Amino acid sequence: MPVNVALGHVSNAFLIAALVIYSLSVVAFAGDFAYGRPRRAATARGQQAQDRAAALAAVGAPGRAAQAPAVPEAPGVPEPAGEPAASDSMPEPEMPALRAIREAGRWVLAAVVLSLAGVTAHTAAVVTRGLAVHRAPWGNMYEFITALTCVAAIFFLVVLIRYRAWTLGVFVMGAVVVTLGLAETLVYTAAGELVPALQSYWLDIHVTAMTLATGIFFVAAVLGFVYLWVDRYARRVAAGRAAPGNGIVRRLPSIEQLDRLTYRTIVFGFPVWTFGVIAGAIWADQAWGRYWGWDPVETWAFITWVLYASFLHARATAGWRGRRAHYIQLLGFTSLIFNILIVQTFIAGLHSYAGVG
Amino acid sequence: MLAAAVVTAALLAVALVAAFAGGGSSGVTYLDGNDTAVLYASGHRPLAPEFSSTTLAGTPMRLSSYRGQVVVLNFWGSWCPPCRAEAPALAAVARHYQPGGVSFLGVDERDSQASAEAFVRNFGVAYPSVSDPSQVIALDFSAVVPLAGTPTTLVIDPSGHIAGAVFESATYSELAAILAKVTGKGG
Amino acid sequence: MTDVRAPETDPFDAAAEPDDPSRPGPASPAGGAFGLAGWLKWAWRQLTSMRIALVLLFLLALGSVPGSMLPQQGNNPSGVQQYFVSHPALAPWLNHLGLFNVFGAPWFAAIYLLLFVSLVGCVVPRTFRLAGSARTLPPRAPRHLARLPRSAEYATALPPAEAGIWVSAEKGYLREAGNLLFHLALLGVLVSVALGGLFGYKADRLLVQGTTFADTASALDEFHPGRLVTAADLAPFTITLNKFDASYIASGSQRGQPAAFDAQIGYTEQPGGPARTGHLEVNRPLSIDGATVYLIGHGYAPRFKVTDARGQVVYDAPTPFIAGTTGNFMSEGVVKVPDARPEQLGFTGVFVPTAVDVGGTLESVFPAADNPVVSLIAYAGNLGTNDGVSQSVYQLDTSGMQRLTTSPQVLQQGQSLKLPGGQGTITFTGYVPWVSLAITHDPGQLPALICGIAALGGLLLSFMIRRRRVFVRARSGENGTTVQVGGLARTDASGGFEAEFASLAAELRAACQQGRHPQREAE
Repeated sequence: MPVNVALGHVSNAFLIAALVIYSLSVVAFAGDFAYGRPRRAATARGQQAQDRAAALAAVGAPGRAAQAPAVPEAPGVPEPAGEPAASDSMPEPEMPALRAIREAGRWVLAAVVLSLAGVTAHTAAVVTRGLAVHRAPWGNMYEFITALTCVAAIFFLVVLIRYRAWTLGVFVMGAVVVTLGLAETLVYTAAGELVPALQSYWLDIHVTAMTLATGIFFVAAVLGFVYLWVDRYARRVAAGRAAPGNGIVRRLPSIEQLDRLTYRTIVFGFPVWTFGVIAGAIWADQAWGRYWGWDPVETWAFITWVLYASFLHARATAGWRGRRAHYIQLLGFTSLIFNILIVQTFIAGLHSYAGVG
Repeated sequence: MLAAAVVTAALLAVALVAAFAGGGSSGVTYLDGNDTAVLYASGHRPLAPEFSSTTLAGTPMRLSSYRGQVVVLNFWGSWCPPCRAEAPALAAVARHYQPGGVSFLGVDERDSQASAEAFVRNFGVAYPSVSDPSQVIALDFSAVVPLAGTPTTLVIDPSGHIAGAVFESATYSELAAILAKVTGKGG
Repeated sequence: MTDVRAPETDPFDAAAEPDDPSRPGPASPAGGAFGLAGWLKWAWRQLTSMRIALVLLFLLALGSVPGSMLPQQGNNPSGVQQYFVSHPALAPWLNHLGLFNVFGAPWFAAIYLLLFVSLVGCVVPRTFRLAGSARTLPPRAPRHLARLPRSAEYATALPPAEAGIWVSAEKGYLREAGNLLFHLALLGVLVSVALGGLFGYKADRLLVQGTTFADTASALDEFHPGRLVTAADLAPFTITLNKFDASYIASGSQRGQPAAFDAQIGYTEQPGGPARTGHLEVNRPLSIDGATVYLIGHGYAPRFKVTDARGQVVYDAPTPFIAGTTGNFMSEGVVKVPDARPEQLGFTGVFVPTAVDVGGTLESVFPAADNPVVSLIAYAGNLGTNDGVSQSVYQLDTSGMQRLTTSPQVLQQGQSLKLPGGQGTITFTGYVPWVSLAITHDPGQLPALICGIAALGGLLLSFMIRRRRVFVRARSGENGTTVQVGGLARTDASGGFEAEFASLAAELRAACQQGRHPQREAE
């Protein structure tokens, strides 16, 4: 089937639109840092929640203590009739997301709306590209990067809304903008057909899984950088070399919350990556006659898997939690990027279908 | 714990010995100290699979038509350097043994008609060869002897069983030794 | 009575992580009077610790890096040879370290074997512990439930309860089971790979259209049997390549890119068996009697007819030419005529499928054979084929030969080249395609897949399920009974315990409010 060039142009237009809208959302997130509503002092009930949160942090328990800086006031839970309120302390139902966004201020509202719009345009770009080429739109480097940043943006939006993590928006969406921009300028490929070696439904399954996993690990990597930054700042404060109360850091989630968020992101992505490797092995067996041949791309996918597995192990090992674990996680993401950019393009192997050369 | 270690070590030792000891089988004599030239003793000779094909000259040929005679069956190809190297020796063996009633038959593997005929012309091959371009005859024989490539020379006794084999370039002395055993015993 | 312990340790009182300092046993041998058994125990404890597992994982990742950067013997033997040529001083050292066969090297095997020993040594005791803890009841409810990570308290109008009523409940044992399943499944993958290496084989064969081959050792171009495999284990099928079609994109930005390949084959599963037909395409292998046949590549085999000086036809066959790196299937090959007389003849040739003359040189502008020509250089002399040493069919050793033609001669289909000195003629009579087939058998393939899926399942279980305990205590309150609910979860990877606890507490409270107390109902 011939390529639908017109739809290809539509896809490009959507992508440019997404880039512009994302950039605006980054500005809005940054604006929240600079001009956003200062976090309200907690009310009495909210104070209880704050105390509890502080106690929880001391106990080291997992939980949504990420509520603490972002919840401006406790929701008005109607007290059950006839019950003495004094000894009551039920867990408070969560404020609905829409309300929380509105409460967080105009900048956050604008940023979330813009991000949603950007993601919609981005998804439209990916979908129209797929329709233009009559196949899953991740068959070369350009399409892959476009798709993975879309996954990262969608995933982050879910995290943003669920965990009220507006302060992380500038970092993640900023990274998405930079990556998309680089892809557009450096590795753009017009819509085209695939070589027969790639025409298989296992392509869809394997590369889809890798795209999803890479998008998720992308978010984890950005969060990891934020973690290391906040951690470094905390250490410098502790050593007396920096003044406490840095404006940006104060607004960011705490170290434990960042760590937990990153951990949960990787926990989400690791099974997807594992599945992608298995699907790739099935596809390799169909196309090349063996399910694992230590082809350079296969080897680096394995290295990436081992490094993320090391991250999960490190979190359960005394002395390796915290900063060191995040170094490992970032090393894993580096190997992933190295695999995509260098190994697939320059190191000759069976995988050289990046379509760049 | 010590008992477990001793038992494990003993089991390992037994396994190793079994793996390495199970090599030699009875009834096979190695002519040159290795398994490239072998003699099969009576009663341990595999039955040569029947085949029917056409010779290079175009006449139909069946292996079973040689029943009652000793046959030297040589797998060769004009493209195969070791086959070319052994060709003079084979021709000499043929010249010596054919008058005595030993038949010689070639199986031309993965070859084209023109090249095969040129080979036969040049080396003065004085016996017919059947063409086996898809190597199905080799496939059949590889089920009974470890036929791994060309050249391979088999000596078949009058009852149609493979009595000896050379799984590489054959020398005059190897073939003579095998033929002496086979014809001397009378089959 | 189980109180909540210090934050860094596991609030569950199962045996702690191996790195927990409170774990019984010496962390390092002390005192010197330890003996061999003591040292072995210490070494074993170190090996099965998370720290060593982490180090081994690093080593595994690090050790794989040279396997992807340097050419490897298994994938790219000619690349290894080239490396020796271009790095004559460095290459032998790298070879000593096993860096040209990393994944088969003993040191790499040592890393993953140690890792798996560590894995087994950790997983097996934990399996027993899991079985044990699943059988025992959850512990008593702590006295101060408010100190737990999650707690709730509400008052009810129910009659005052007796002091000290409590309920404790525990869920989520499948998490650890999933974790163990994952690690054991990885072990299964290793065993499956070993199975394939022992009992599997890989073979290659180039097949010209119109020809047949039988799956026997002498007919295979390459045969790599597993350690316990012999040639007798090959499945006795025969395959004929009836027709091969390749189509290419004819116009647009992707002109020249392959569009589809299709090989029509006939085959029999054993000699004399029924003849079947089949299709081989890339990504669609054919399974024949336990072996799998893959279409790997294809090319052109031009036909040549050679007549020697005496007028005899000494060669008349399609000759596979191999595509070079210049693209569009410009292919190179060699014709050897060892039985030409008086002298042996040899030709090196280039086959150009769609030939266009660009400033004096021939180039191929399209991969399909729209305008096929062949360019030949002729030699006469000693090919070296009578020495008994095997040669490559694709290379001509001209050291014992003399060049007959001063410049490459171009032939169209049907044209002949008359060799100088009356040495003979060569005619380019036509061309046929060839395909390269891979024949493999891997008994470890299906077990590896099953273990991979099991690993994935175990992973998902261990991430989605959380081990948690909930306690409820009732005591007399101001106007009735005060109910306290408390709960805690072990590493809650996917989150969600807070919501679960909140809904559980709300449900309990609602049940109390509706007065579903048996005593009340009796009144």
